[in-house]
Amino acid sequence: MSARPRPTSPHLSIYRFTITMAMSIVHRATGIANYAGTVLLAAWLVAAAWGEEPLGVVNAIYGSWFGLLVLFGYTWSLFHHMLGGIRHFVWDFGYGFEPGRREGLAWTNLIASVVLTLLVWTLFVWMA
Amino acid sequence: MREHIVTREMIANPKTKYGNAKASTRHFLLQRLSGVSNIVFTLFLVFIVVRLAGEDRADVVGLIGNPLVGIPFAILFAIVCFHMRIGMNEVIEDYIAEERTNRLTMALNAFFALAVGLVGVVSILKIVFWG
Repeated sequence: MSARPRPTSPHLSIYRFTITMAMSIVHRATGIANYAGTVLLAAWLVAAAWGEEPLGVVNAIYGSWFGLLVLFGYTWSLFHHMLGGIRHFVWDFGYGFEPGRREGLAWTNLIASVVLTLLVWTLFVWMA
Repeated sequence: MREHIVTREMIANPKTKYGNAKASTRHFLLQRLSGVSNIVFTLFLVFIVVRLAGEDRADVVGLIGNPLVGIPFAILFAIVCFHMRIGMNEVIEDYIAEERTNRLTMALNAFFALAVGLVGVVSILKIVFWG
């Protein structure tokens, strides 16, 4: 007896664009970026453990315009992924699925990540 | 660890069993538990980086060398590496279906997470215990 095939879901191209979908994709993208970014943190830590000279080299690279650009992006990526995680906790507990609410959460995720990043950089980098 | 690579045909065929129920549930839970810990890590990291960005070694040793800062930071960093291994495993499961490439990238992922974690943790502990 041949059984009816299970239904499978279509892929991205068939759906219209929604903010929750976009933030889901960005959550994964920032996760991958953070994955790579831990190398920057590990490099800084190992240089600090190593000695004065390697730390100076790492500080010089991270303090260059390109280094600062990468660190700025890394800050945003960390905050976005953190807030995205919190958004998923809210959903895990069964809240925020209503129409409007879920989009609100996704927009909050995006806006708050930008605000937090700008806040940290303004307070501790540009004004320091 | 799953035994088979899940293809579209396997999902459509009602006679197949796919995925690994036990590991998937465990990963789901551990990913969320470590996620909570990572919120603490992120705030801690911002605090440390803000205090130490561009500072010389004496300041770094002064802050991270404090066991009350260094030890929790090392533990949180290890949990971060654990979290990112599970996360990247999920990405690999989704996009790399070819069995050998799948196994290879899974292994590389485990190696990467372990290597970054070890380098970070050993460096922090070196600063804490030996300055």
